[in-house]
Amino acid sequence: MTDWTIDGLAAAIRERKASTVEVTTECLERIGRLDRRLRAFITVDAEGALASARALDADAAAGRWRGALHGVPLAYKDLCHIRGLPTSCGTKTAEYFTAEHDATAVSRLRAAGAITLGKLNMTELALGPFGDNAHHGHADNPWRAGHLTGGSSSGSGVAVAAALALGALGTDTGGSIRLPAACCGIVGLKPTYGRVSRAGVMPLSWSNDHVGPMARTVRDAARLLQVIAGRDPRDGTSSHRAVPDYAARIDEGVSGLRVAVPENYFFHGLDDEMTAGVRAAIRLLETLGARVMELCVPDPEVMSDVCNVIARCESAAVHTRLVRERPEEIQPVVRARLELGFRIPAHDYLQALRLRARLARAFIRDVFAETDVLVAPVVPEPAPPRAHATEGDTSEIAARQGRFSRLTRPFNGLGLPALAVPCGYSRQGLPLAFQIVGRPFDEATVLRAGHAYEQSAGWHRRRPALD
Amino acid sequence: MSERMDQQVALARLAAAIERAAADLGLEEEPARFVVALEDGADREAGA
Repeated sequence: MTDWTIDGLAAAIRERKASTVEVTTECLERIGRLDRRLRAFITVDAEGALASARALDADAAAGRWRGALHGVPLAYKDLCHIRGLPTSCGTKTAEYFTAEHDATAVSRLRAAGAITLGKLNMTELALGPFGDNAHHGHADNPWRAGHLTGGSSSGSGVAVAAALALGALGTDTGGSIRLPAACCGIVGLKPTYGRVSRAGVMPLSWSNDHVGPMARTVRDAARLLQVIAGRDPRDGTSSHRAVPDYAARIDEGVSGLRVAVPENYFFHGLDDEMTAGVRAAIRLLETLGARVMELCVPDPEVMSDVCNVIARCESAAVHTRLVRERPEEIQPVVRARLELGFRIPAHDYLQALRLRARLARAFIRDVFAETDVLVAPVVPEPAPPRAHATEGDTSEIAARQGRFSRLTRPFNGLGLPALAVPCGYSRQGLPLAFQIVGRPFDEATVLRAGHAYEQSAGWHRRRPALD
Repeated sequence: MSERMDQQVALARLAAAIERAAADLGLEEEPARFVVALEDGADREAGA
């Protein structure tokens, strides 16, 4: 089980070298054995998963293939509405969020043959970068017990890293796919704003929310993106732009690719091991033929503030009833972040929305006129101990949260595709990671660069010692 | 510092940052231009 990739398993099932029931049973067995410690899942749908697996095996026996993910067990962050399963959004309320239809991304994965193992743990309301959750138990880092997983898609990061599922969906409003991917040593892709439908997914901030894949390899992330990307009439912000074949050029390497390394902001205040890991990754890309250049990028701090104002206001609007009627149910740090949104003047919110458009245009023009991708660290340090998220007063924890997500948040405001890729391990055995950022809707180039690095570096072959 | 004071400090900092950055926003600049910025950026790449 720990050696399967989505790509490999899908091929094995099609060649009848593996059965969906066997693989699903093995995932459920691993969840039963390991999740008491890891706390990746909020809901496990063993009965539903096995019923689907039996149906898919019957289809395979009859030569009926549902799609590219026939028989692949996946799991979804617990803010995706799936009929028949509760959606807590990490809150104390089991069924906090419902929608008229299943989340479009989940529906598309199921239609392609994926098995739903269950719903994954997350930071309460997706509001926080560490992955702690007092209501459902703190997700635990598979590489080192007692360390944070990153969030808010904490369970997605843990489930994939621990081989409880072959892939997962996360959402990213300020880094919530890339942070847990980085902390858990897996791949996470925040696609371009509008590339993947958010219909049926709890909103946190309409202007910054992105749904995206999390997987063990870049190729697997590409395969999931291929299924979920594209226009959805249920999400008015989803793009009409055609979806390319992401696998078509993924093996073409990085020879001649122009890679920008930001001189400002992104390497300031970084842990030494993280700096060394990311710099080594950049050198490897250069060895592989990329043309690496240093570049001063438009100040990401401004975009970060803009993104923050927009996110605070929109999240306060979305969760008004919970805050007004049941504030005692919300964890103090989460409540403080929500309450801030009620006190930001409408004028500032609107100015932030206007500024965002200008800043995005300037960033795309200044950075991508000369380069194809930008590379930067994802997190300032390897996954910190859990106390980082749970000890101290609200303002101390909020300040740590701000520092931890400062490298990811600007790209939510900018709406650009950003891929987190593992790039080594610290002396404590915790994952290091970098992100590859591309032009709008150019996920194909981002994935190609990530795949070339990953295959050469080989970090994706390492597994946490859980068995 | 109380939680209320912390919030006031955070609010004041954010408001000042937005006011500084928005000082020379043109009258024609409106939120919907964000999607246009993304589409234009992608089109430039396609034409490159």
